[in-house]
Amino acid sequence: MSVLIIKNLHAEVDGKEILKGVNLEIKGGETHAIMGPNGTGKSTLASVVMGHPKFTVTKGEVLLDGKDVLKMEVDERSRAGIFLGMQSPAEVPGVTNSDFIKTAMNARSEEGKNISLFKFIIEYDKAVAELKMNADLPHRYLNEGFSGGEKKRNEILQLKMLKPSIAILDEIDSGLDVDALKIVGENVTSMKSKDLGLLLITHYQRLLDYISADVVHVMMQGRIVKTGDMSLIKKIDNEGYDWIKEELGIEDERVYVEDEKEKILLGTCATKELLGL
Amino acid sequence: MKFHRSKLLNNQIPSELEKFFTEELTNYLVIKDGHIIKNHVKDNNIFIENIEDTIANKPEIFSQNPFLTKYKSEAYQYNLDEVNSGVFIEVGKNKVIKDTLHVFYVQENNDLVNNTLIILGENSELSYFEYLINMTDSSINFVSNSIVSENAKLVYSGLSNLNSKAIVSVNRNSYVKRYGNSLYSIAEVNDGITESNTFIELQDVYAVGTSKTVAITSNEQEMKIRQLIEHNAPDTEGYIENYGVSNNSSFLVFEGVGKINKDMKRSTARQSNRGIVLGKTSRLDANPLLLIDEYDVVASHGAAIGKMDEEQLYYLMSRGLTLKNAEKLIISGFLSPVTELLSTKELIEDFVKSVEKKTL
Repeated sequence: MSVLIIKNLHAEVDGKEILKGVNLEIKGGETHAIMGPNGTGKSTLASVVMGHPKFTVTKGEVLLDGKDVLKMEVDERSRAGIFLGMQSPAEVPGVTNSDFIKTAMNARSEEGKNISLFKFIIEYDKAVAELKMNADLPHRYLNEGFSGGEKKRNEILQLKMLKPSIAILDEIDSGLDVDALKIVGENVTSMKSKDLGLLLITHYQRLLDYISADVVHVMMQGRIVKTGDMSLIKKIDNEGYDWIKEELGIEDERVYVEDEKEKILLGTCATKELLGL
Repeated sequence: MKFHRSKLLNNQIPSELEKFFTEELTNYLVIKDGHIIKNHVKDNNIFIENIEDTIANKPEIFSQNPFLTKYKSEAYQYNLDEVNSGVFIEVGKNKVIKDTLHVFYVQENNDLVNNTLIILGENSELSYFEYLINMTDSSINFVSNSIVSENAKLVYSGLSNLNSKAIVSVNRNSYVKRYGNSLYSIAEVNDGITESNTFIELQDVYAVGTSKTVAITSNEQEMKIRQLIEHNAPDTEGYIENYGVSNNSSFLVFEGVGKINKDMKRSTARQSNRGIVLGKTSRLDANPLLLIDEYDVVASHGAAIGKMDEEQLYYLMSRGLTLKNAEKLIISGFLSPVTELLSTKELIEDFVKSVEKKTL
């Protein structure tokens, strides 16, 4: 059973602080959900835990079973057991889906001990069928030309194959229709065990109709401002976030407001104006 | 044109090639220093002979097709004057060859001056694959010409795996007639200085020509890839597609030209270039040119060159792949347009190995 502990995590991008002291503890067997309006730092939290190069951690700790995650490279974090189902996974032309997943699985096994091809194909086909994906998937290039829903399902496919100990699913429900949402929900639920700690990031309660969460957090202004159980979701679903803002005296829940870009009139030399000439 | 026979030291097939000769490989030919040392071409519909015999016995082929012996460049002229290797391949009218013909060119003794001629008769089809390898320090002057007759189709692919001791000049020319289709896909993974030219001349209406190149440069290497598709008839189509990777402090240039002459109406010329600059001090240039002397045409050209995509790397690494393995996978995917053309597992493995050697 693994434990992921996030302590007072601060992170910034381009000098702007987005995470302002996140505290969170996820144990194997638990399912946490983070909700919150747009622009409050939810996805940033997921990317920082995975190690996206764009973000810089300025303060705080992330520990997986006592090991310092922030000192690890992205691939080491993955091999240590962290998985991030991404909101918009990259497309990699020319690399087939099955080659990619096979390589990823081999990266986990010891040097020289590759997973048997036969075992891989059986496991892969089973996962594809369970997710009701098209049979041509193994030969298609990784995420290239995939619809939004296919990309999300492909993330869950990898989750099933790689069997991490901590999985973060970043808005895995966006872009999914009701049927697909149900399939994804059922597949994730069926993976629940004491060996898997889950963190779901979402805007909508509808994902949580299919995957029940033990703990629900609300994020605003780059930190977790409220923690509760499933009843919190019902209340948010009925009343929105305003009551939380009122309760906590928050006026603008966003981390930062983007500066409005100076408007340029068509007909003038745009480049010149931007350069201030 | 006079043939200069060079001495064959022995008729041993180099051990580097042995692995390719599996059961899967049905039609193949090995030519070393201008001597055919193994002829394993099972399809009777392919006529093959040493170019030496063609030059001596069938001068009419060259007189009927004067462009074969016309001055094109100094390297080409040198080839005509000093030719010491080559094959003549002919597929007759209405004959469709199912299995790819593989020709392995080996340099061992002299400098290689090769001249290969492929003639496809009307309505015929051939897939031809060539593999170039050198054993000693040498200069390689490689010329191949193809004549694609009416409604014939040539799928020409090549893998040139010459080591850093070879200075390489390659000229591949294709003449395409009415409804003819000529598709060239070349992988240049040489380690030495290389200049590679592919010229396709669309001679008659509805002719189609495609030139794809994958090129990888490493160390201090310089490589120049030039392609020209010339539209000499209306309603013709030409496509140029390039994929390049430059590593270490090497220099790779793509110079593609789509040329539509006056009155060649309703022709299409398209070109795309993609490149990854891998080395800290390496350089990759693409000059996609369109020379168009007619209004009623469709044409486009573009180039996208940069370092490896960070989002792709992050994504692959987030699944546990090391940086090195992630890079390897992205490059092999990037080069897949050529990998797809290789006919056997062994050839694909050989290509992947050369790529890895040059990109790590």
